[in-house]
Amino acid sequence: MTLTLDPTSSNRRRHAGSLGWHLGALAVLAVVLYPVVWVLGGSFKPGNEIIGSLDLLPTDPIVANYTRLTEGIAGIPISTFFVNSTILAVGSVGGVVISCSLAAYAFTRIRFAGRNLLFTLMIGTLLLPYHVLMIPQYVLFQKLELINTMVPLLLGKYLAVDAFFVFLMVQFMRALPKELDEAARLDGCGHLRIYWSIVLPLCRPALITSAIFTFINAWNDFMGPLLYLNEPEKYTVSLGLKMFVDQDAVADYGGMIAMSLVALLPVLAFFLAFQRYLIDGMATSGLKG
Amino acid sequence: MRTTRHVERRTFLKAAGASLATVGLTAAGCGGGSGSSGGGPVTIRYAWWGADDRAKKINESIALFEKKHPKIKVKTDFQPYVDFWKKFNTQAAGGNPPDVIQNAVTFLRKYAARNVLLDLNPQVQAGNLSTDNFRAGLEKFAEIDGKLLGLPVGSNSMSYIIDEKVYEKAGVTPEFGWTWDEWYAGLQKIKSRTGVPGDSGPHSIMYYYDLKLRQQGKAFFTEDGLGFQESDLEAEWTEAMKRIRSGVYSDAKKVEQIKPKAATAGGLSAGEFTWDNFTVRYAAEGKSSYGIAPIPTTDGKKTGQYLGSLMLSGTARTKHPEEVATFINFMVHDPEVGRIMGYDRGVLSTTEQFEAFEPTDKVSKQISEYETKIAETGVLEPITPHPAGADVIEAAFLRLATEMSLDKASPGEAVDKFFTEAKTAFTANA
Repeated sequence: MTLTLDPTSSNRRRHAGSLGWHLGALAVLAVVLYPVVWVLGGSFKPGNEIIGSLDLLPTDPIVANYTRLTEGIAGIPISTFFVNSTILAVGSVGGVVISCSLAAYAFTRIRFAGRNLLFTLMIGTLLLPYHVLMIPQYVLFQKLELINTMVPLLLGKYLAVDAFFVFLMVQFMRALPKELDEAARLDGCGHLRIYWSIVLPLCRPALITSAIFTFINAWNDFMGPLLYLNEPEKYTVSLGLKMFVDQDAVADYGGMIAMSLVALLPVLAFFLAFQRYLIDGMATSGLKG
Repeated sequence: MRTTRHVERRTFLKAAGASLATVGLTAAGCGGGSGSSGGGPVTIRYAWWGADDRAKKINESIALFEKKHPKIKVKTDFQPYVDFWKKFNTQAAGGNPPDVIQNAVTFLRKYAARNVLLDLNPQVQAGNLSTDNFRAGLEKFAEIDGKLLGLPVGSNSMSYIIDEKVYEKAGVTPEFGWTWDEWYAGLQKIKSRTGVPGDSGPHSIMYYYDLKLRQQGKAFFTEDGLGFQESDLEAEWTEAMKRIRSGVYSDAKKVEQIKPKAATAGGLSAGEFTWDNFTVRYAAEGKSSYGIAPIPTTDGKKTGQYLGSLMLSGTARTKHPEEVATFINFMVHDPEVGRIMGYDRGVLSTTEQFEAFEPTDKVSKQISEYETKIAETGVLEPITPHPAGADVIEAAFLRLATEMSLDKASPGEAVDKFFTEAKTAFTANA
């Protein structure tokens, strides 16, 4: 439309260039989104047309895959899995935000003996693969008789075990001006008050980032719930998804794909709700003098 | 300054401690305790692999069991096959395995060697468990070094699944006792007359190669190692590559792409080797009609087949061996359970259950007829339980043969790698 209205050739060239740029970007987007659209289309196909077919859209769309979800899996309503996953994910977010920020505060604002050594050791735990810890950790929780509860999955989050998030917050807190602390101290604040009233509000972007990633990780975690939860009633969504398919049986791919799309919604909602604060936080912190 | 700082640190720690304590409390509130209480009803844990459909059948059987044995409660837990063994491995290492598990021959010696499995013989002697009425000697299936480590719930056998429509169109009729040459000539005929590759390519299936070896008086596994030489496998795999290139076996790339659907069900080939109880999947996934053909032979008689099986095993650490035995006994012998489960885990292993279940669908009838026929013709042989490490070796065999057929390795390289990995797996489990 603008092309025809625009008289000058240089403008026209610029518009043509921008058009090409956008078309190219759209083409790349189409490639990137192909799997998502395939899954979306697949959820409306009958089970035996899903596997081995590259067709994006169903020839005869059906909603049976979604209505099938209301029957539940193995006699357990789907909502059970969502409730369990929500408890796990929200619990993890709370734990990580509180414990990791406390740990980070200690590392940046309190001078104590062995601080640098402890910080190095903490970073070192990032290099430890999960599979090395799996069995010893299992034995530990088994001796504590905490198997088949959410405790093994949540406890670590409340003990600042996620070194990456501690690191992230430490980096963020180091950038906060010390003068703010000193001013608060002059007004009579202790560490807890400085942490709560000064550092924490300023750290919001780091907290939100950690919260988003923790939520996604906990929601998608498979290995932890697989090992520690022993009753289908306690399963999370990621375990529930696997109940549709097994090599021995006729697999219900339709049900699985429909449920995986439904399972995406909470993660998407969480992200959309919080990314606003993420950008908001960055903008405000950039303005401070 | 110094003193205030101390106080601050202390309050700080106290606050942290308090928040942790509340966390512990709320977290503990999330999950109820497991385990059994003394005196009251005993709870046993039963874990198996499978999906939704099997879960419904098993839940129904357990409801029946709990009604007849009100003092025993059964809690179930299930995952898909691969995840099941990951979880069981951790549980066994952690000393907290379920009381009863669904088990397979590939894992029998592995966990027997680690003393994870319960010897059921004392329970048989005490009269809690019966080994009578098993079909075709299946009660001996899980006997290792005089220990009874499980009882089969169903039997299955390696078979040859064919697309009946393609075979008819090509005019090829498989017959009992046909030889490998006749089979291959049939595949070529199918390829030239219908354009469909004759077979999906059997070279990655360990159990197919096992059959071939058994027909020559050998076997894939001996009690503690491999029962064949590098040169044997290299000849087999070189020939397979030739057949893929000529188009008589399916294009390996297409077979990979269509997974997890079976190639024959996807119309990529006219037939393939698989377990007879998997036939159910073909009917559900494919558009043609499928049948079970006899296994080709070397000498016109011996097929090398044996009845494999899923079984129920107890674990050695269980606090309730008697209840475990009572439960397994009920699951393998009760006719009503047979009627509920059907051929979900193979053809029912005891005569009580076999006779109680009347298959109504075409596929189950086919499977039942097939197993009755191979039992009658007397081709069945005893099985040697696979050595510890067999599960790893089976996976390596599948992976390396697939890589070879995708042209990522030559047959020689693939064979070398396979023997190296097999050696490592045996040493790791020795």
